[in-house]
Amino acid sequence: MSRLTASLSLLVLASVLAACERRTAPMHDTATDDFGDTVVVATAPVRIVSLNPTTTELLYAIGAGARLVGRTSYDRIPAAVSAVPDLGPGLRPNVEAVLAARPDLVILYASEDNRDAARRLRAARVPTVAYKVDRIADFARVTLALGRITGDTAAARVTVDTVGRTLAGTLVRTAALPHPRVFWFLWESPLLAVGGGSFLSEMLKVAGALNVYDSLPEPSPSITFEDLVRRDPDIVLASATTRARMLADPRWRTLRAVRERRVLVFDTTIVNGPSARVGASAVALATLLHPDAFAP
Amino acid sequence: MTNARWLLIVLALVTAIVAGVTAGTLPLTPSEVLHGLLGNAAPMHIAVVRELRLPRVLLAALVGAGLGAAGAALQGATRNVLAEPYLLGVSGGAAMGAVIAVALGARGPLVPLAGFAGALGAVALTLLVARAAGGRGDARIVLMAGVVVGAFANAAIMVALAGADASVVRGALWWMMGSAADASWMAVRGLALYVAVGIAILLVLARAIDVLALGEDTAAGMGVDVARVTLGVYVAGALLTAGTVAAAGLVGFVGLLVPHLVRMTGARTHRSIISGAALAGAALVVVADLMARVAHPPAELPLGAITALLGVPFFLAHLRRLT
Repeated sequence: MSRLTASLSLLVLASVLAACERRTAPMHDTATDDFGDTVVVATAPVRIVSLNPTTTELLYAIGAGARLVGRTSYDRIPAAVSAVPDLGPGLRPNVEAVLAARPDLVILYASEDNRDAARRLRAARVPTVAYKVDRIADFARVTLALGRITGDTAAARVTVDTVGRTLAGTLVRTAALPHPRVFWFLWESPLLAVGGGSFLSEMLKVAGALNVYDSLPEPSPSITFEDLVRRDPDIVLASATTRARMLADPRWRTLRAVRERRVLVFDTTIVNGPSARVGASAVALATLLHPDAFAP
Repeated sequence: MTNARWLLIVLALVTAIVAGVTAGTLPLTPSEVLHGLLGNAAPMHIAVVRELRLPRVLLAALVGAGLGAAGAALQGATRNVLAEPYLLGVSGGAAMGAVIAVALGARGPLVPLAGFAGALGAVALTLLVARAAGGRGDARIVLMAGVVVGAFANAAIMVALAGADASVVRGALWWMMGSAADASWMAVRGLALYVAVGIAILLVLARAIDVLALGEDTAAGMGVDVARVTLGVYVAGALLTAGTVAAAGLVGFVGLLVPHLVRMTGARTHRSIISGAALAGAALVVVADLMARVAHPPAELPLGAITALLGVPFFLAHLRRLT
């Protein structure tokens, strides 16, 4: 719990620091990204390509969505994003397609797969930054960084502040409640669970529950069915179609939570990454897990 | 093959099955396992033994039996010690069917069904290609047609996966690496039928395969319909392989390795080689699946990788004996 509390404190601290920042921005700014590269970017770019659905969502949250000229094939949220041109995958992107969108800022996911694309885009004199947005703490850090780069500092601060307050408030409300042990189903073959390396595991803690696979460092570890039975979760989280299949399947019914029909349906479309909806999602999850305490 | 060697193979299979049901991520004593089997233990123990371990062990045994028997018959009919079930384009066809199903959004039991359809389609295509090339009963032409159909299927898989979502790629890759993790009693019953029918056909053809081993001309001179026997072996082999692929994905090396192991025990007639390869193949896959489950908990290792890891040293040792 301490790591999460530290993350939330950092989030609040980050918003305070942002508030102390200077208001007048120069024509050009430098940003250090998660590859450790320092990049010169034009202040308030007007043609942005975001090749990570989470950063795309964050750009909309801070009011820079209308300046997007490119996204990945996997962007779904918000609905307005469907009008932005689809430039293909977010990992190992098609650099030529990105250049054809004539961007003045490209935002990549900071994966080793994207180092080469970043190098090529910068060689073509397109300011390119890469960020990892995997944990709740990343959300605050990257939102504020995007705010600085796009010139939407105040909106970024408000977003971080609002989400931070929601998360901290939810954590306080769930602290005294009994914490059920939860298995969050991700995939059937191979069987994948939400692991300790995922922001969803952090969200479960905020919502007043314990992930039975929190000790595994991967975000979506592969597990054996027997190990899952051994961990004997109190609650299973899955999509509506998976729930129906689980309840009817003799193999899934070896799990006590499934036999006792404690399979709760949670919208899995939030698994993009910790976006601005992470606060609202934590509240929705807390309401699902503790309906009495969170009843409207 | 002497009775002592038969006993050894049967004993290996029984030991593998007992170990497979007894060991797992959840530590259970042999007595708890026994009571779980009999249904008078804690509900969790009954569920783990009866619904998770037993169907899984039996499914692995059936997969091994099917691949072992198919490999033995194909090596005999083609007079090629490198022949194996996947060479007929079956693996490529099955993987193509499954990958296309996953890429189109199919989940659950639809994926192995698509794999089964792909496997049968690939074998039919292989036999058609061989026939068009004029080599209906010619083992070399059929094997080459199988390689070509397999290569085409692999190219189609790469095209389908190139632009696919990461989760689709992961699911497809996992399926191609083989796993008995999704074992259910329904899958065991279905595969048991395929394996029983397939092995029965091969055993009926066993004597003709013995004669084929003397050469096609000699066999024809002795009254064997070479083309019909070869086709029978291919069709039965395809049924066995497609059934196992649908149940557990691609489990490599079993069909190639196990017939060699059985011949090393002194089996000479194809009735013994096919029966021995079914039993030894079953034991090998049960042991490999046990390793896949317990080697790196709580993660599962891919079954096909384990069978290859087990198979390669055996095969290298065998090669040394041959040279």
